[in-house]
Amino acid sequence: MTASPIQKMAEKTPPGMARNIKGLSDRTIAWIFVAPTIFLLLAVNIFPLIWTIRLSFTNYRVNRPNKDVDWVGLRNYERILNDPDIWNTMQATAHFLLWTIALQVLIGFALAYLINKKFKGNDLWTTIIVFPMMLSPAVVGNFWTFLYQPQIGLFNYVIAFFTGADPASFSMIGDVHLAPWAIIIADTWMWTPFVMLICLAGLRSIPDSIYEAAECDRASKWRQFWTITIPMALPFLMLAVLFRGIENFKMFDLVVQLTGGGPGNTTTLTSIDLKREAFEKWRTGYSSAYAVILFVTVFGLASIYVKALNKVKER
Amino acid sequence: MAEVVLNGVSKAFGDETALDNVNMTVPDGSFVVLLGPTGAGKTTTLRMVSGLDKPDAGHVSIGGRDMAGLTPAQRDVAMVFQQYSLYPHLTVRQNLEFPLKSPILRTRQSVIDQKVGEVAEILQISHKLGNKATALSGGEMQRVSIGRALVRNPSVYLMDEPLSSLDAKLRSDLRIELKNIQANSGATLLYVTHDQIEAMTIATHVGVLDNGRLVQFGTPREIYENPVSVYAASRLGQPRINVVPADLFGGAPQAAETIGLRPEHIVQGEGEDSMVKRVEHLGDQTRLHLAFKNHDLITVTDAHTELSEGDIVKIRPEKPYYFDASGARVA
Repeated sequence: MTASPIQKMAEKTPPGMARNIKGLSDRTIAWIFVAPTIFLLLAVNIFPLIWTIRLSFTNYRVNRPNKDVDWVGLRNYERILNDPDIWNTMQATAHFLLWTIALQVLIGFALAYLINKKFKGNDLWTTIIVFPMMLSPAVVGNFWTFLYQPQIGLFNYVIAFFTGADPASFSMIGDVHLAPWAIIIADTWMWTPFVMLICLAGLRSIPDSIYEAAECDRASKWRQFWTITIPMALPFLMLAVLFRGIENFKMFDLVVQLTGGGPGNTTTLTSIDLKREAFEKWRTGYSSAYAVILFVTVFGLASIYVKALNKVKER
Repeated sequence: MAEVVLNGVSKAFGDETALDNVNMTVPDGSFVVLLGPTGAGKTTTLRMVSGLDKPDAGHVSIGGRDMAGLTPAQRDVAMVFQQYSLYPHLTVRQNLEFPLKSPILRTRQSVIDQKVGEVAEILQISHKLGNKATALSGGEMQRVSIGRALVRNPSVYLMDEPLSSLDAKLRSDLRIELKNIQANSGATLLYVTHDQIEAMTIATHVGVLDNGRLVQFGTPREIYENPVSVYAASRLGQPRINVVPADLFGGAPQAAETIGLRPEHIVQGEGEDSMVKRVEHLGDQTRLHLAFKNHDLITVTDAHTELSEGDIVKIRPEKPYYFDASGARVA
């Protein structure tokens, strides 16, 4: 009888090791495989989280390690929640989140709907549309500062071309009213393709035969769109919203490159503000409390949302 | 309800010819069954009539109106798809209501409820109305799919193997129901199957398709008793027609290459000897598998026959069909 390759390999295992492995139960072996991951998770996720929570009740400053650390109880939380500047930051973040999600889902779905029509070269168009997503956010932030340049920027030129206004008469980045929109536009430009890809997957998952049945059932294109396309693509749309929501809640790189949080505090999103508190002002305890508040907010919203998503998926 | 006419309809998918110059008139109020093996063009014919596909050449008209360029909705056809095509995110009730909720129709909710109730009753799915369409067995999905067509009153019903996933009892029940519905409503029905019992029992007309060509069209009896070719003859009849070389028995016409013997074309007790190879008692009839000069023949005999394996039976042909080398009927 010739031995199979697996048998040959098994025979090469030293007898001592083989005996040891044989003595282990399936459960033990499973634990051995999972243990490194669990350890890593504990080390880089769970432990820092618990440590942050601990620090959030102190006045610890990381740049003054020799100073006595006092327990301050809930004072950090109190101060944060009563700080109007932080509420402004929260508002700016909410504004950024709502508009980017709305625009990206709307445009992304529309693009996916068009690309999904069978036409010549739609694969090529998909690739072209997806390009912005492949760039680094820092690069995107950087070149949008050029596009927004009042004197030489292409963006201003195009707006001027269509409205007849003087391109140098407005500055997307310098104006307190326009800056929040500047970051929304740049982010939408960069991430709409991502939403489009997810929507495209959703649309492609609807079989043609369903539309044929609807066609025979005398449903108009309009009715087919609202009673078949939207409900069947909805789980994918919601997934796109979730991804973009979580991503943009922690938006940092693109906005820092583009506006640096200014002018004033108009585009200072929470993650930018938090970074300043923690690593420029070195208020470690205070910023820990800040981080915990953000964590609870995101975690709470996300879990409510995921529940809704699962309900939609079950339908 | 309306007459459906196919005039010189051809369709190719790439190099593959699906339909080749099909001419067929489906009379108003008839129940037409299309027969043929996979790939013969049955489903394509339905799709041409429905308007889901356009013919490369030829015309389809329904009720005397040319249908060129009209959508399925404009043609007012109801179709039952082989792969069911239920709306997966809707309940069974919503699936059945869907065609009636068309804004063009403005059907009152009470009428919709009544109609859906009736159809669900006939198809024995009343207890499943609240279920998700995806939470059904294959047979139940198929019935919902039939129901979605039956709630309507279209110019023509198109059904693509609508009973294929049902168990034997339900299938024969629904066969009778479909026949009743069609007969009572006077609906025109175009039906695809490869179950010849379905074809024989419910059809007013049968169309036999072979590789995209309509080779014979007529009543089931006509096709059974007067087939134009070996191919058409072997579509109908259970047990199948026996096809053997024409010179096996004497008296074949000049051009005949093969002789086709339906079981009832074999007279027992006269002629030449054959040996019984197997006896199948089916209850109401008994099938005899015979060996005759190195050829196998199947015939039926008295249900209570005393014959058994190894016995010798004399047989001779009675009014058989003769076919030429190409399979066409010569006598």
